[in-house]
Amino acid sequence: MGCSSSVPDRNVGRIGGLNPENGGPNDAKNLRVKLVVLGSSGVGKSCIVLRFVRGQFDPTSKVTVGASFLSQTIALQDSTTVKFEIWDTAGQERYAALAPLYYRGAAVAIVVYDITNPESFAKAQYWIKELRKHGSPEIVMALVGNKADLHEKREVPVQDGIDCAEKNGMFFIETSAKTSDNINQLFEEIAKRLPRPDSS
Amino acid sequence: MPSDTNSSSSSLSSDSEFHSQNSNQDLNPNLNPDSIDLSLDAIENQLVSISMSSHPETAPFDLEEDQSEPTEQLTTMIAQMNGEIGEEVVVDEIEEEEEDKSTMKAETSRLFKESSSEVWRNNSEEEEAMSPSSSGYAGERGSSGDAATVGNEIDDDDDDDAEDEIDEAWNYGVSESQEQWAPQKRNLDEDDTSISWRKRKKHFFILSHSGKPIYSRYGDEHKLAGFSATLQAIISFVENGYIACSSSFVIISSFCFPIRLYICLLHCFLFRGDRVKLVRAGKHQVVFLVKGPIYLVCISCTEEPYESLRGQLELLYGQMILILTKSVNRCFEKDPKFDMTHLLGGTDVVFSSLIHSFSWNPSTFLHAYTCLPLAYATRQAAGLILQDTADSGVLFAILMCRHKVISLVSAQKASLHPDDVLLLSNFVMSSESFRTSESFSPICLPRYNPMAFLYAYVHYFNVDTYLLLLTTSSDAFFHLKDCRIRIESVLLKSNVLSEVQRSMVDGGMRVEDLSIEPASIMGTMSSHLGQAGPAADSPGRIREAFFGIGGPAGLWHFMYRSINLDQYVSSEFSSPINSLRQQKRLYRAYQKFFSSMHDKGNGPHKTQFRRDENYVLLCWVTEEFELYAAFDPLAEKALAIKTCNRVRQWVKAVENDIFLLGASPFSW
Repeated sequence: MGCSSSVPDRNVGRIGGLNPENGGPNDAKNLRVKLVVLGSSGVGKSCIVLRFVRGQFDPTSKVTVGASFLSQTIALQDSTTVKFEIWDTAGQERYAALAPLYYRGAAVAIVVYDITNPESFAKAQYWIKELRKHGSPEIVMALVGNKADLHEKREVPVQDGIDCAEKNGMFFIETSAKTSDNINQLFEEIAKRLPRPDSS
Repeated sequence: MPSDTNSSSSSLSSDSEFHSQNSNQDLNPNLNPDSIDLSLDAIENQLVSISMSSHPETAPFDLEEDQSEPTEQLTTMIAQMNGEIGEEVVVDEIEEEEEDKSTMKAETSRLFKESSSEVWRNNSEEEEAMSPSSSGYAGERGSSGDAATVGNEIDDDDDDDAEDEIDEAWNYGVSESQEQWAPQKRNLDEDDTSISWRKRKKHFFILSHSGKPIYSRYGDEHKLAGFSATLQAIISFVENGYIACSSSFVIISSFCFPIRLYICLLHCFLFRGDRVKLVRAGKHQVVFLVKGPIYLVCISCTEEPYESLRGQLELLYGQMILILTKSVNRCFEKDPKFDMTHLLGGTDVVFSSLIHSFSWNPSTFLHAYTCLPLAYATRQAAGLILQDTADSGVLFAILMCRHKVISLVSAQKASLHPDDVLLLSNFVMSSESFRTSESFSPICLPRYNPMAFLYAYVHYFNVDTYLLLLTTSSDAFFHLKDCRIRIESVLLKSNVLSEVQRSMVDGGMRVEDLSIEPASIMGTMSSHLGQAGPAADSPGRIREAFFGIGGPAGLWHFMYRSINLDQYVSSEFSSPINSLRQQKRLYRAYQKFFSSMHDKGNGPHKTQFRRDENYVLLCWVTEEFELYAAFDPLAEKALAIKTCNRVRQWVKAVENDIFLLGASPFSW
């Protein structure tokens, strides 16, 4: 699969994919959204998700295979709840062709890079382009620079992240799954930006 | 799971099984057109046109009998292994015989010249490496007693540092943390100039036909690019007509690269077109397997038979196909120099775990899977709920506990090969991320359809027990998730999961519980597989003073493989096969025995009785089963034979609990 970059996006036009079957109409107070996390391998996608969902951090890196599915509900101040159904995708090249499976129909995409790794930043830009092209037009996108605790090894300046996010109409934040810095803020901010069913 | 009839006949010879598989790739009866994911149609259409037969794996291979420990084996004749003892080939002989191969000689000397500088460099570095400060040594992390390994072979997982893993895998009753299970790739800083690297007992390499390294068991693939190119040169040299009839051959050399490989190459000239394809010089064997653009190589001094090593390479290739499918070949058509390492990113651990299982998991050479012992009704309950999901569009539903099957079912007409079960469970267990949360991943079952991905839903019920639901649809995740929720509630309600836990603690069959009285066999069934039953004190037990350990008549261990079911059962290890070293030695002895029983040259044996300083080994093969048993080296032959009969009756008596019967509706 990995090498089959030419695999046609065969499900174009087919609604559904890995979207919950009984997604049903979201009521204004209880949102349920599909969220996909993309980025190159080793940037900490799973760590961010596990920190958010379970409050855990495991320093031994475990390579994600395919994609993991987790969900987490948060309550906002205006008493709405948002249930995130999260697809934590594998960063490996061989799974790249599978990505449409996960981001199709997603309401939110989080694109993650590692602030100590410029290559991962370049890959993030690739994912952003990909999402612009094939993602749903109303998708809420966040650009996340992870491993912010390793600031002494930083190789991607904050400003680069801000510029890139601005250019693409994204929300930008630097996080550390290790210290838990900005993890909840990331998801709260996303929740705030979600289009509300009653307002649209 | 009892699969199609083909697999039962092929079970007599693992080798021929592979051959027929290769030659029938495109005609695979299991290849269910519905199973091919539509998404990949385009690729597959192109791939089907690629002839897989361009590499004739089916070339007959005449392996001379390897009797490397010839003296101490008192081979009693029920049927004897009567192989010829191979002489060591020395370089003088090569030069003599080489004379009438003058054209090739020229070619070879050119190769020699090309390599000579490298040889010199390697030698000098080897000397350097003897000094304790050398990087090759300093970098040898994670293994104790490095200094002691100078001049000896480095024991890889085969012996020391991974014994805890073996322990856990064999004795599943002992609960260990799962972290130990997946061996991490070690010794990344080694390369072919490190002495520690050279002294590894068993190397595995995967490389592309252009010589690009893809995987190496030890050391960083990228640092081994030069070595990889050497291997490639040799393989393609041989492939390009010098040994036209065969793409697989064996070389035994003294493992001093690369000069010895060139000597091996000379040997290849000598035996070009000849029947003999086995050469010995020292105690190393080099086994090559060519699979289209992918070359697999094993270099080993473990004295495992050629067939075993070749089978291991086949499995290694199968594991790669499981991750990528055969469509990866297409990348090499586009770009012969394609670098495949990126595509396998993060899978080192899957390969090393598989290679590790070559030294403890009998499935790897028996081509059969084993079941967790469970009461018939319990397994039945699990099977019924799995069957429900299979009826709802799931292709395979498999419930496993570590490497043991609890139950598995397949959709109509689909059948699961035991090798696929092995590769699948290895993949799942060695990929830690599956334990974190439910996952959905593309995987390919090489024996089912090497061309297409299936989609696997993976969920762990607890630390050891996991469910695999395989489907052809990439959109099926939420359906599979619903299936899992339903399955889980039924398993909990019917206590299957707690029974599984109990079985893990209780273990399987124990030789001590074997009763010699036929009448008490029934009695032993009442408790868990006869363990701790009344038979323990039964007067029928033979408890002579001399055989104070093990089971009756000095029985130490046995392995029973049901040919129709594609399943095997082995007894728990008990005294005196306590230490991991002894367990592995017995494993290797079985492996060798299995290979000799299936040696085509000697014809399949019916029975074999062998005595050496370690054991009496007895093997008995019928159309229905294969039984391997290890006895005290002083055990009496007549009594041993009698005991094997008892074992067979015992297995028969408890077969409902130890095997999965009627695994799929079309297989019985």
